[in-house]
Amino acid sequence: MLAVHRPSSAVSDGDSVQIPMMIASFQKRFPSLSRDSTAARFHTHEVGPNQCCSAVIQEISAPISTVWSVVRRFDNPQAYKHFLKSCSVIGGDGDNVGSLRQVHVVSGLPAASSTERLDILDDERHVISFSVVGGDHRLSNYRSVTTLHPSPISGTVVVESYVVDVPPGNTKEETCDFVDVIVRCNLQSLAKIAENTAAESKKKMSL
Amino acid sequence: MAEICYENETMMIETTATVVKKATTTTRRRERSSSQAARRRRMEIRRFKFVSGEQEPVFVDGDLQRRRRRESTVAASTSTVFYETAKEVVVLCESLSSTVVALPDPEAYPKYGVASVCGRRREMEDAVAVHPFFSRHQTEYSSTGFHYCGVYDGHGCSHVAMKCRERLHELVREEFEADADWEKSMARSFTRMDMEVVALNADGAAKCRCELQRPDCDAVGSTAVVSVLTPEKIIVANCGDSRAVLCRNGKAIALSSDHKPDRPDELDRIQAAGGRVIYWDGPRVLGVLAMSRAIGDNYLKPYVISRPEVTVTDRANGDDFLILASDGLWDVVSNETACSVVRMCLRGKVNGQVSSSPEREMTGVGAGNVVVGGGDLPDKACEEASLLLTRLALARQSSDNVSVVVVDLRRDT
Repeated sequence: MLAVHRPSSAVSDGDSVQIPMMIASFQKRFPSLSRDSTAARFHTHEVGPNQCCSAVIQEISAPISTVWSVVRRFDNPQAYKHFLKSCSVIGGDGDNVGSLRQVHVVSGLPAASSTERLDILDDERHVISFSVVGGDHRLSNYRSVTTLHPSPISGTVVVESYVVDVPPGNTKEETCDFVDVIVRCNLQSLAKIAENTAAESKKKMSL
Repeated sequence: MAEICYENETMMIETTATVVKKATTTTRRRERSSSQAARRRRMEIRRFKFVSGEQEPVFVDGDLQRRRRRESTVAASTSTVFYETAKEVVVLCESLSSTVVALPDPEAYPKYGVASVCGRRREMEDAVAVHPFFSRHQTEYSSTGFHYCGVYDGHGCSHVAMKCRERLHELVREEFEADADWEKSMARSFTRMDMEVVALNADGAAKCRCELQRPDCDAVGSTAVVSVLTPEKIIVANCGDSRAVLCRNGKAIALSSDHKPDRPDELDRIQAAGGRVIYWDGPRVLGVLAMSRAIGDNYLKPYVISRPEVTVTDRANGDDFLILASDGLWDVVSNETACSVVRMCLRGKVNGQVSSSPEREMTGVGAGNVVVGGGDLPDKACEEASLLLTRLALARQSSDNVSVVVVDLRRDT
């Protein structure tokens, strides 16, 4: 997997520098996506003075429709987010903007639960976004955007970016390092699930 | 009259000796245990009654030799199937007396107690294994047993801890029989356990019984604190933040050191491997895991390793008991306090005060699913001691599962 490079200077510079730096790195690494307006638009976050942001990119050898069918399930994030133990929709139907879900985290992690709101669900552009509005954890004002992009080489490229408050006592770098581990782990699980699903589909068609 | 105990997880060997005047016959029968599926080892106590003048049980040396050789052959021919040799028993009969002495000495049988409680957390992810005589060593004069106990505190899910409970003692025995060096055999068995767990996840073969119902759980792991008791030594191997404490002459001696990410040498090792420790509700590897070593947790390798730290301690006359427990206990109870509590129980001062209905009393403290006396033949005082420690942990607001094993090491009891 690949992570957008965050030069240490980007952390110490003014926050407004972070976004252009990230987009530039993104476009340099994935020239085929540099003209994709979805990527630029949805992964540009407004970052406050005590916030940090980052992005994780994962290539998946599976059709974009297969990957999207897993990612878009706001009511079932634990299918690929293995740090989640369970999820219940507590507002709306789970398939429309404004829906709320409550997720419970597995043991051993420094969090217990999270309440999250669905902000974007765009089946045409393959964009899903949620923000964290409550729960028992230290990630205040967390907002995440995940976009899928067709890739001629690997099938699908997933980009997940986020912005979050830096908790008291931690640095921006620490906060991004921590969240990046979780997001990276989630996207690696997603890759494995989607690739297994795609492999099984091929097997069925060849029979 | 003598009591003789057989232990056998998958096979039962029934031995009867009948003596007809001037003729000796030994009959042995093997049959699969009806409790083969049982998760824990099973014991059966058989009583032999000898009436002086009418029956004189004698084992002919040739019979013992033939049986031992045959069992060895069976083990060799079915190397992929685990057969645990039944503990052999020799009954000696004084030629001029009706007194019968059973070996090994009944006092050589380990006295232990197990208690495990869910606590405020909804799921039980701890596991405990106690295997008396899990490895036996024949000497010229007697047969001595090695005893195994282990506490495994799972996180993320329970299946890694459950797999450790099922397999780790087998791996320890295999590795020690291959190379009688405790440091090396423990390191190899823990590595093999970790590899089995990782392979389990990779194969998608894990069968979680929890609500997750998913095979792919790289983010699941477990601690493992293991002790092997021999007649001369106490061996402890630890990986993670559970702990083993010896009480000797009334004083607490830690036989393991917790693997916390901010322990200076662990911090150095993690950083040298390219990782970092972030303080996020306490020191955590990458801000995620609160221990620096564990079985499993593949996503955090190479920062979180499964290599155990091993201590070998000579046994001494002043040894009182050994406590193995998960951090649900040690986070809220000091080594010294735990030793004081157990000493009271083993001296009998608390007998009668521990409720005969612990489940009911526990309810008020938010405990559920209390498991007491998980072993097959626990000692009452040790059982009460381990139960009392779990109750103390809950009373002190432990928020975790609590699992405790207490082993009485006194020789004159």
